[in-house]
Amino acid sequence: MAVPSTDRGAAGNVAGPEKRHPVEFTAHAGEYFRIWIVNLALTIVTLGIYSAWAKVRKRRYFYGHTRIDGEAFEYRANPLAILKGRLIAVAAIAVFYGVGYFAPLYQWLLWIPLLVGGPWLLVRSLAFNAYNTAYRNVRFRFEGTYKACLKVVLVYGWLVLFGILYPYFKHRLIRFVAENHRYGTTRFEVADFKKPFIGAYANAYGLGFVLIAALFGLGFAAMRTKSPLLFPGGVVLFYGGLFLLFAYVRARTTNAIWNAVRIGPLSFESALRARDMIWLYFSNLLAIAFTLGLATPWAVVRAMRYRASKTTVIASGRLDGFAEGQAQQVSVAGEEVAELFDIDIAL
Amino acid sequence: MTEFDAVYYDGRTSARKPVRVRGYTLAIQIVGEGLRLDVPLGKLRVDPPVGGTRRALHLPDGAQLQTDDHAAVEALFPRAHALEGWVHSLERRWPYALAALAVTAAFAWWSVVDGLPLAAKIVAGFVPVAWEAKLGEQTLGFFEGRLCRPSALGAARQQALQQRFATLTAGLADGYSYRLLPRDCRGIGANAFALPGGAVVMTDALVKLARSDDQISAVLAHEIGHVRHRHGLRMTLQAAGLAALAAALFGDATSITSLATTLPTALLQRGYSRELETEADDYAFQRLREVGLSPKAFAEIMLLLEKDHKKRSGGESRDYFSTHPATAKRIERALTAP
Repeated sequence: MAVPSTDRGAAGNVAGPEKRHPVEFTAHAGEYFRIWIVNLALTIVTLGIYSAWAKVRKRRYFYGHTRIDGEAFEYRANPLAILKGRLIAVAAIAVFYGVGYFAPLYQWLLWIPLLVGGPWLLVRSLAFNAYNTAYRNVRFRFEGTYKACLKVVLVYGWLVLFGILYPYFKHRLIRFVAENHRYGTTRFEVADFKKPFIGAYANAYGLGFVLIAALFGLGFAAMRTKSPLLFPGGVVLFYGGLFLLFAYVRARTTNAIWNAVRIGPLSFESALRARDMIWLYFSNLLAIAFTLGLATPWAVVRAMRYRASKTTVIASGRLDGFAEGQAQQVSVAGEEVAELFDIDIAL
Repeated sequence: MTEFDAVYYDGRTSARKPVRVRGYTLAIQIVGEGLRLDVPLGKLRVDPPVGGTRRALHLPDGAQLQTDDHAAVEALFPRAHALEGWVHSLERRWPYALAALAVTAAFAWWSVVDGLPLAAKIVAGFVPVAWEAKLGEQTLGFFEGRLCRPSALGAARQQALQQRFATLTAGLADGYSYRLLPRDCRGIGANAFALPGGAVVMTDALVKLARSDDQISAVLAHEIGHVRHRHGLRMTLQAAGLAALAAALFGDATSITSLATTLPTALLQRGYSRELETEADDYAFQRLREVGLSPKAFAEIMLLLEKDHKKRSGGESRDYFSTHPATAKRIERALTAP
């Protein structure tokens, strides 16, 4: 059965009154704590094999508790496939770090396959995750090709070398990721989000500059007065500053991206606030540190609930009209290797 | 007969249709507006339960039923998932969760105290000496030039120290190429350190601090102990293992919270190094006896180092004591060494 590859799917043609659907997140920290701790214990007892099931259960729990218009998301990955991917990933990581520890001089040689393979991993990982995510029994898809991804990396990747131009590269990469997603047959459309996205980084760079100047000032003061408090003060200032900047950039860029995305008749409103995020991350950090990690589930649920509470789907048509595309299997290896190498482009 | 409400999706669009489902022994019947469908139970696939999330029943041709009626789904598909059904029952009750917590805590404790050091020791056994030497070269490259310059001691003095080092390493035949590297490292103070593969760096300040050459031999024997027991390599492996463990247990939260694990990890590292120091001390006592020296020399130099440290404390230098076991205890062990 051939599915016409229409740009906007059937949904684009259905017009209607605008309706706001806040994203609901209904997970409970207590319930997730039990899932989390049982996952951990079983992973330990099975020497890691259960971790594939653990990952699927965790995702299914969170997806199942994320609802729009009363309907929940589904995560459909097969744990056996994930286990296979993990074994491949562990082998790859062992080679990478083994060479890194014992022959660091040769490690740069491994960056070549990582540079060439990185885009492949990214594309496969996105495809796997999209294909295994469904809403209202319609799957997401990622149709970005390796060639197109490599092109983005090669054409704009060198900007990373000039730290200050990095945001432009990141923006291109995220644009590539977002534009190539589909919900069923309906393509994600992405308006220009360059300005708010790069603006967030520009502000952060400005603040970072002030922070560095303050640190230099503190350093001079420390040399003059030899006060024992100035060194820890500098450390607190440095990490505190990084923390603020991280949370700020996270909030602003997430908003910039989601406010630019359209899926057929749907648009999004993301209103994360930097100061909320700073408090959220900071309190989570303290909670995790002081409970020896036991507050991790609570922290995760809390962060997700906040994110959901600030996200709204605006539907100018019905959510009913999205067409499912053609089935195709997506292999898992890319996803697991990418995860271990921390290759992740979050939307 | 089981009967429940569900939402039906036809597998072609995102349109939802509220339906009533009747479950019989061999099939289910789905009834909704303009829909009447009989599906044999054998053609249905049901997802394992996770928490209180909605259950999905996958029909042939990609159609789907979703329902919140967990009891009805369980009644229709008893024991559909042997493994995950059991896991689900564990996840639902606090006593099991607490048992899981006990298992996890015990494992974490055991890993940190015994497991990781043991694993590092075993893995180190598989690492060829040549690789280890390479690791040492890297570290040495960091010290040379940046922190240390060639020793300012006279040639005859250096010759005498090399002689002592040669006596200590004579006949060890463990594959390491032992080398004594006297260096002038102003920022480090009186110190000596062993690098994986056999290089031992000793600062001029230490030579000047020592009251007798036997005391220098005592420090060198301690450093040789580090080399022989492959402490540099084992520390590297333990650090990697600890980081991996922390990531596995708490890597769940956002990346920034990984900061929270940095401090405990650093503290644990120091605990490890204390254990390794004791191991190197023991080796030093034994080796000193073998070459006809007394472990008392070790006690003496420890006292001198401690005094020196107290005098200089307040400075920001990497000192000999921050990662070492309580000096008094080490001195006592040296004095009572068999």
